[in-house]
Amino acid sequence: MKFISSFFLLITCFVYANAQSENLLPVDEHGKLIYYEVVELKGTTQDSLKIRAVNYLKKQNKDVQFKSAQGDTAFIANGKMIINKTLLVMSHPSGEILYRFQVEVKEAKYRFWLSDFSFIPYQRDRYGNFVASTTIGTPLEKDPGKLNAGQWKEYQVQTAKYAKDLAVKFKQFMASKNPIAEPMPEKKVISKNW
Amino acid sequence: MKIKSLLFIVALGCTTATYAQETATPLQISGSVDTYYKYDFAKAANINTYFANEQNSISLGMIDLALKKTTGKASFVGELSFGPRGQSQSIPNAAGAYDENTNSFNIQNLYVSYAFTDKFSMTAGYMGTFIGYEVISPAANFNYSTSYLFGSGPFQNAGIKASYAFSDKVSLMAGLFNDWNVYQDFNGVSHVGAQLTVTPVTGWTAYLNVLSGRSAGAPGTGTIFDLTTAYQITDQFKLGLNAADYSVSNDNGGYSGVALYPQYAFTKAVALGLRGEYFNYKGIGTAADVSVASVTLSANIKSGGLTFIPEVRFDSDKDFSQGFTKTNGITAAKSASQFSLAAVYAF
Repeated sequence: MKFISSFFLLITCFVYANAQSENLLPVDEHGKLIYYEVVELKGTTQDSLKIRAVNYLKKQNKDVQFKSAQGDTAFIANGKMIINKTLLVMSHPSGEILYRFQVEVKEAKYRFWLSDFSFIPYQRDRYGNFVASTTIGTPLEKDPGKLNAGQWKEYQVQTAKYAKDLAVKFKQFMASKNPIAEPMPEKKVISKNW
Repeated sequence: MKIKSLLFIVALGCTTATYAQETATPLQISGSVDTYYKYDFAKAANINTYFANEQNSISLGMIDLALKKTTGKASFVGELSFGPRGQSQSIPNAAGAYDENTNSFNIQNLYVSYAFTDKFSMTAGYMGTFIGYEVISPAANFNYSTSYLFGSGPFQNAGIKASYAFSDKVSLMAGLFNDWNVYQDFNGVSHVGAQLTVTPVTGWTAYLNVLSGRSAGAPGTGTIFDLTTAYQITDQFKLGLNAADYSVSNDNGGYSGVALYPQYAFTKAVALGLRGEYFNYKGIGTAADVSVASVTLSANIKSGGLTFIPEVRFDSDKDFSQGFTKTNGITAAKSASQFSLAAVYAF
């Protein structure tokens, strides 16, 4: 009986540990946490994908701020997510995760990845509002030491969940059939030549 | 009757629909609790700055509870505190006195705010002061004991203020305020104040503050100029500075002082910080100025929401203004030193 209960306990621990690691993001070849996906969209032109991607990064998501374009096919934005500390009915922001959102488009497919995650802790100010306590973020893959390991793991889990949710929304937007018109060139009134 | 009822229901429906369109965030609950032990090396409660001042005793700080709710552009904050630090030592009772026995008001913050746009907002109520570097909440201070500058300046300012952000780097707050630390102003809303916030580079923020007015029964108009700034120079090193000058008109005294706060984080969990302060009490009339100097070395050791703050402090009082005594409790001393250990849990 003792053996059986010990065996079940061991199995439970193993399943729990495995579930924990499944909730985290994988790391890239440089050891940095990353969410990476390649998506095929047959019959969609590169131009359409480009317009949709830029539109998403510039207008569709308030958490994301468009930064730059590399040529005609690669786009970079900076993003921010708020980490909330939640205990039963209690909730308040405990920090923010900054990240980089990159998209590359080709004919009938695109890839995107979220990387360079860094954590900035919040602190309650004199007015009872939660504000950033520093401007320099700590890379999310950095070992926080024993004292803060549990809390750090929670940040990593919340980040992974956020990245997966963001990916779903981004893919839905990219797959939407609604036509997205290119911005019309600004009309100029030529007053000198008549 | 039927038409009236119908109109009533339609009106109610419209109100509900308008309300439903507002985005509401969940109610935020946060706060802190703190407790400390202090030992003065002359075996007396020599250093009298707020709040760690009970000698050789495991003493209470406070339990602090804050609620915040945002619905659309409107929000409120209510912050209550119970215990010596957040009650009779820093918050007046209904009669405006700091009385251990009759203290019944526990309010640190009680205000409502409305953001008209992303750049412009207005706030009214009873708010933590915008003056100074240190605050009442131990969770927001690095050192557990506080500076002379903190103890001499305002704790709260009730009033109405408008804030406008010109850019990410410059914003301005201006407002009308009650006398310092009172719920009701008996000589009218008598103070004007402003805060210019400048962020010259990422990580460096400076607040230039001014507050001026004549308090009920005061011999003159008091004006305080205050500079509070902090610069996160590297991931590990942060430097803070607070300088202030307060004068009451007609040569009725005041104070001036400066405090420097270098802090170094060895890891995310362990940091060491120093506070060096020079403080001058302005003499009233022909009385001479007196000054004190203080050095405080504190560590912050964090685990989750808990922070341990071991601290040593040395104060020099060459003018004997603080009433420091030697071990016998009678002979006046020019200096005092103490050790304290505090535990602060923030949630």
